[in-house]
Amino acid sequence: MTDETSDPRTDGGERVRESRRGAKRTDGGTAAAGHETDHHHGLPAPSSIKRWLVTTNHKDVGILYTVTALFFLVFGGVLALLMRVQLWTPGATILEPLQYNQAVSAHGLIMIFWFLSPFAFGFANYVVPLQIGAKDLAFPRLNALSYWLYLFSGILFGVSFFQGGTFAGGWTMYAPLNLPVYTPNIGASTAVLALLLFVVSVTVSSVNFLTTMHRMRAEGLTLRRMPLFTWTILLTTWMMLFAFAALLAALMILSADRLIGTQYFAATGHAGSLLWAHLFWFFGHPEVYIVFFPALGVMAECFQTFTGKRIVGRKWFIAAMVLVALQSFLVWMHHMFLTSINLEIKTLFMATTIGISLPFDLMVFALVYTMLKGRVRFTTPFLFSFGALVLFILGGITGVFLGAVVLDYEFRGTYWVVAHFHYVMVGGITALVGGLYYWYPKMTGKMYDKFLGKLHFAMYFVGFNLLYFPMFVAWETPRRDFVYPEIYTTWHQLSTVGAFLLGASFLVMFYNLWVSLSTGEDASDNPWQFSTTTEWAIPSPPPLENFPGKPSFSSGSLEFLPDGSDAGDIEPAGPGGREPAATDGGEATTDGGEAATDGSETDADDGEDDDDGKLVTDGGRVMTDGGQPMTDDEQVVADDGTAGAADANAGVADEKATDGGTVTVYDEHAADDEEHGEDHASIWPFRIGLTSFLFLVGLSGLRQGSFPEGLEGGAYLGLTVVAGVGLLWALVGMGREEFHGLEGPFGESWPFTGINNTKLGVWIFLASDVVLFGAFVGSYAFIRVAEGWQNNWHHLIPADHVVLPGLINTYLLLTSSFTVVLALVACEKRSKWGLIGSLATTLVLGIAFLINKAMEWQHLFHVHSEAFPNGWNIGTNVASSTFYLTTGLHALHVIAGLVITLYLIARAWNGAYLDDDQPVELFGLYWHFVDIVWLFLFPLFYIL
Amino acid sequence: MTVPADPIRPSLVALHPAQSGIIPRGTRVEVFQQIFDVFLVLGTLVGVVVVGYMVYNAYKYRDDGGERPDDAPKVGELPTGGGGGRKLFLSFGLSTIIVVSLILWTYGTLLYVEDEATVEGGDDVQIDVVGYRFGWDFVYPNGHETSTLRVPANETVQLNVTSEDVFHTFGVPELRVKTDAIPGQQTQTWLEAEETGTYRARCFEICGAGHSYMTAEVEVMRPSDYENWYANTSAENSSAVAGPSEIGPRATAGPRASAVSQGVVG
Repeated sequence: MTDETSDPRTDGGERVRESRRGAKRTDGGTAAAGHETDHHHGLPAPSSIKRWLVTTNHKDVGILYTVTALFFLVFGGVLALLMRVQLWTPGATILEPLQYNQAVSAHGLIMIFWFLSPFAFGFANYVVPLQIGAKDLAFPRLNALSYWLYLFSGILFGVSFFQGGTFAGGWTMYAPLNLPVYTPNIGASTAVLALLLFVVSVTVSSVNFLTTMHRMRAEGLTLRRMPLFTWTILLTTWMMLFAFAALLAALMILSADRLIGTQYFAATGHAGSLLWAHLFWFFGHPEVYIVFFPALGVMAECFQTFTGKRIVGRKWFIAAMVLVALQSFLVWMHHMFLTSINLEIKTLFMATTIGISLPFDLMVFALVYTMLKGRVRFTTPFLFSFGALVLFILGGITGVFLGAVVLDYEFRGTYWVVAHFHYVMVGGITALVGGLYYWYPKMTGKMYDKFLGKLHFAMYFVGFNLLYFPMFVAWETPRRDFVYPEIYTTWHQLSTVGAFLLGASFLVMFYNLWVSLSTGEDASDNPWQFSTTTEWAIPSPPPLENFPGKPSFSSGSLEFLPDGSDAGDIEPAGPGGREPAATDGGEATTDGGEAATDGSETDADDGEDDDDGKLVTDGGRVMTDGGQPMTDDEQVVADDGTAGAADANAGVADEKATDGGTVTVYDEHAADDEEHGEDHASIWPFRIGLTSFLFLVGLSGLRQGSFPEGLEGGAYLGLTVVAGVGLLWALVGMGREEFHGLEGPFGESWPFTGINNTKLGVWIFLASDVVLFGAFVGSYAFIRVAEGWQNNWHHLIPADHVVLPGLINTYLLLTSSFTVVLALVACEKRSKWGLIGSLATTLVLGIAFLINKAMEWQHLFHVHSEAFPNGWNIGTNVASSTFYLTTGLHALHVIAGLVITLYLIARAWNGAYLDDDQPVELFGLYWHFVDIVWLFLFPLFYIL
Repeated sequence: MTVPADPIRPSLVALHPAQSGIIPRGTRVEVFQQIFDVFLVLGTLVGVVVVGYMVYNAYKYRDDGGERPDDAPKVGELPTGGGGGRKLFLSFGLSTIIVVSLILWTYGTLLYVEDEATVEGGDDVQIDVVGYRFGWDFVYPNGHETSTLRVPANETVQLNVTSEDVFHTFGVPELRVKTDAIPGQQTQTWLEAEETGTYRARCFEICGAGHSYMTAEVEVMRPSDYENWYANTSAENSSAVAGPSEIGPRATAGPRASAVSQGVVG
C-alpha cells in the first residue's frame, strides 16, 4: 500500500491532471512519485493520455464512461435545441424536413443509447465494485472493451451524418421506413451498424456486471443486504441482458435487410412491419426501466444520505423493483394499441401495464416517507434527487392517462407522449445529475462549488418544466412534426425558451465541475454525513486497489481485514475468502466447497491433491498455461466479428479463457509485489474498438450484398478488408496477451458459489444467446404464420430444399457433441492422445457439417425451376431470407466453435488441459448449446 | 348499398339510452372529453397532494443543525429499512384503488368503442383509407376514390385503414379518431361528427420527408348534401385516381405516383 496512497490522488480526475498537480494539495509535489508506482500494474500515470487508452481499472473506466456520456449529452442536446428553434413557429424554418427528421431520430437515439444508460454506467463502473467490496470487475479487460466499443459506436453514429445524412426514421425505426428503399443514405445503414456495435458493448458489459455482482461481493454482503444503488444496477443489467438480445436480433435482421438484401421487413404481403414493432418494443419497454432504474438507485441513496434516515420499507422497495424487472417483459404491446392486435390482447396488456405502474407507487411513497422525522439537508445532490422525484410523479400521473386505452388512442403520436416520456426519462436524468454531484467528491477528491450547484439546480428545474410542461398543454401537436396548430405557438415558444435555459444550466455544471477540479476544497473520505455505503469508507478518490484490506461485513458492519486473513477466524458466516496470491495453492485443500479454484472444481472427484501440489510448487508454469487459452476464444471473436453480433459472444468467451488462465497463481509480479498482482492495463480493447469501428464503416457501404461501383465502392471494400484483418489481429492479440484479473475465492457468491467467474460468465452469455436465437426463431414463426403456415409457405420454397442435408447435419452435430464429452473424459483420465483424438474428431465432424451445408446452399442458390428461375437466393423471398439468415447465424456459431477447437487441439498438443480441464469444459458447454439450437432449427426449417 | 336509407340516423347516445350511465358513451369526441376531464381533475388533485406533501415535509424536517441522533446511519453499516411500513402500505393501497378503478371505468368505454356492433355496423357508411407517402386516399364502396374525406354528420362512419408503403397513423384530432395504417394489415375504426364543417386528417407516425405535410381534408356534410354528392360519384369520376376499389398493394399511378416518387428521395 505504501506507494499507492499517493497515487490515487491523481487517479480520479482525468483531464485535469495538470491543474491538479499544480494545486496546493499536500501531495501535489509527490504526484510524480505517485506515478512511478504504477509500473507494477503496467498502468501509466493518469496525466498521460496513454493511461486512458490502456486502463482496465473500473474507476478509470467509470470516469471514461461519465465524460463520454456527457459529451453525447451535449451532442443530443444540440440536436434538441435545433428542433426547438425549428418549432418556434409552425413550419420549416432553419431545417429542411429531412434534416428535421434526422435531428429527431438522432436526438432520440443518442440520448437513450449513448447518453442515458452509459451515464448511469459511469457510476455503476465506479461505485458498484466499491459498494460490494470488490477490487475490480470480474473481467477488467472486457470492461475496457465495453467502453471502447461504446465510444467507437458513438463515433460511428457521428460518422453517419457525413454519409449523405444519418437515419431519419425516428428512434423507434419502424419498418419498412428503415429499409434502403425509403431511407437510402449510406449514413442510415451506418447508424444501424453503430447501434449494433453499441448493443455488443452492452452485452459484454451485462455479462461482466452480472458475474461481478453475483460472485464478488464482500463476505457478509448477501444479496438482501446490498445497497440500493447496487440493487438497481443488478436488476438493470439483468434486464439489459435479455432486452438487448432481442434488440440485437432486430438489428441483425435489419442490417441483413439493408446490407445483403434479406426480405424480413419489406413492406407488404406479410407482417414485416408488425414484426419490427414486436421485436423493437419487446426490447423497448424494458429499456424504459433500464434507463430509469439506476436513477431510482441514485434517488434511494441520496434520500437516505441527506435525510439521515434509512429507507422506509426497504425490502418492499426491493421486491417492487424485482417485480417491475420481471414484468417489464410483459407490457410491450401497449405501444401497439392502435395496430391490428385484437381486443383480448389489448385488455391483457392494459392489465399488465397498470400492474407494472403500481410497484412504482410503492417506491415513490417509500422515498417520500423516508424524509419524515429526518434531517433534510438541501445539498445539490438532494435537490436533484428531490426534483427528480417530483418530475417522476408528474410523469407517472400523466402515464396513467396513457394507460387508459381510450385516451391512449388519441394521445398516440402526439406531444402528450413526448411530454410524458420526457418527464419520466429526463426526470431520471435529473436524478443521475444528482448522482454526479453526489459522487463527484469521491471520484475527484474535490468538492464542487456549492452555490453553483444550487444555481444549476434552480436553472435546471425551471428550465425543465418550462420546456416540457407546455407540451402537455399543446399536446395535440403531432409528434416529430414541425407543422402544428397556430394556437399552440405561444406554448411552443415557452418550451423553446425552457430548452435554452435547461441547456444553459448544464454550462453552469460543466464550468463548476471543471473549475472545482483545481480550485475545489479537498474532499474527505466521507463528505456527506449519514452516508452508509462502502465507497465512503475509503479515501477520495480511492486508491487503485480500492481498500486498505479485505472488506468484510461478516461481523455485521464493514471491516477491512488484513489481507490474507480468513474471515472464518472472525465469523464463520463468510468462509472462503483468502488473499488469493498468498494462499491460493492451499485453498483447495482447506476450502470446504466455497468457490474453489477452477482446477479443483472441475475435477473435484479425483486429483485434488494433485492439483494443489501443482499449484503450490509449480504455480508459475500452470499460470503460463492458463494464461493463454484466451487466444482460442479470441479467435471466436475474429470469426464472429463478421457477423457483428457475435463479437459479444467472442468477447465473453475470451474472458472465460482469461479467467481460466488466471485461476492459478501469480507470476513474477506476485514475487515482487505480493499485494498488487493484478494487471490494470491492456491496449487491446482499444484496438478492438478502433478496428471494429473501421470495419463497420467499410461495411456500411454494402447494399444488396455488393459494394457500389467506382471509387467510393472501392474505398468501402478496401476499408472493410483492411479493417477486418486489423480486427482479427486485435482479437487474436487480446487473446494472446497475458492478463491477470482478480481471482477467487471471493466473499458472498450465492447462488453461484460452486461456479467460478468464467463459467458463470459463459452461462450468462449463453442465456442472452438463447434470447437472440429465440428472437430469430420467433421472427421466423411470426412471418410464416402471417404468410400462411403450410400452403403459402411451401410455395416459397423450391422442391430441391429437402430434408436429407439437414438430417445428415443433425447426426454430425450430435456425434460431435458426444466427442466433446469424450474429450473431457480424456482430460480427467489425463490421456493426452485421447483428448487430442476426441477434439480432432469434433473438428472433423464440424467441418463436415459446414461442407454439407455449403453444398446444400450452393445447390439452392442455383436451383432452376419454373417457380425459381433465378435460383433461391437470400433475397428471393421471405422463406429464403429466414432460412439463410437463421441457419447462417447458427453456422457462424459453429465456425466460432471450430476455431476454439483448433486452438484447444494446438494447446493440447503441448500438453495442456490435463491438469486444468476447464477450458475444455467451457468449450463443451458452448458446443452443446450450439447443437441444441440446431435441434430446434432442423425441424423448423426442414420438416414442418 | 351501405349508404343508410334514412340519412338522419339518431346518434349512438340516443340509440343506447339505457347504457349512458356511469360509463361514457357517445361520439369519440364525447367519450374522450369525459374521460380526459375526470383524469385531469383527479390527476391534478393527486399531483398537488403528493407533491405538496413532499415539499411540506422536506421543509418541516429540514436540518436545523441540531445534535446527531443516536441511531443515525453511519458508514459501513449494513443497509436496513426504516420503520413506517404501515403508512407505506396504506398509501400504496389507496393509490392502487384509485388507479385500478379509473382504468376499469375506462375499460367499459373501451369495450363500447371497440364493440363489434359499433365497429362493423351493417348499414353504416364504409370507407377505405389508404395512406401513402405523403397523402391519403379515400375509397368509397362504389369504387369512387378521392383525396378529400367526405362524411355525413351524425352518422357512424366505418374506416378500414391500411398503407401502401410505410407505417403511417391516420388521425383526425378534432374527431378523436386515430388508428395505425400498416402496410399489409387492415385496421378498423369509426368516427361520428356532430358538426358539419371542414376538419383535417393527418399522419401521426414519422414516415419520411413529407410527414409534417401529410394531411387530408375532412368534410363533414349535412346528410342530405352527402347523399347528393355520393349519388353523383362513381369509380370513373374519382378525383384521385381510378382504380380497383379493394385495398391492398397495387401499382400506383396518377397523383399518388408522383407523390411516391418524390417521397423516395427521403
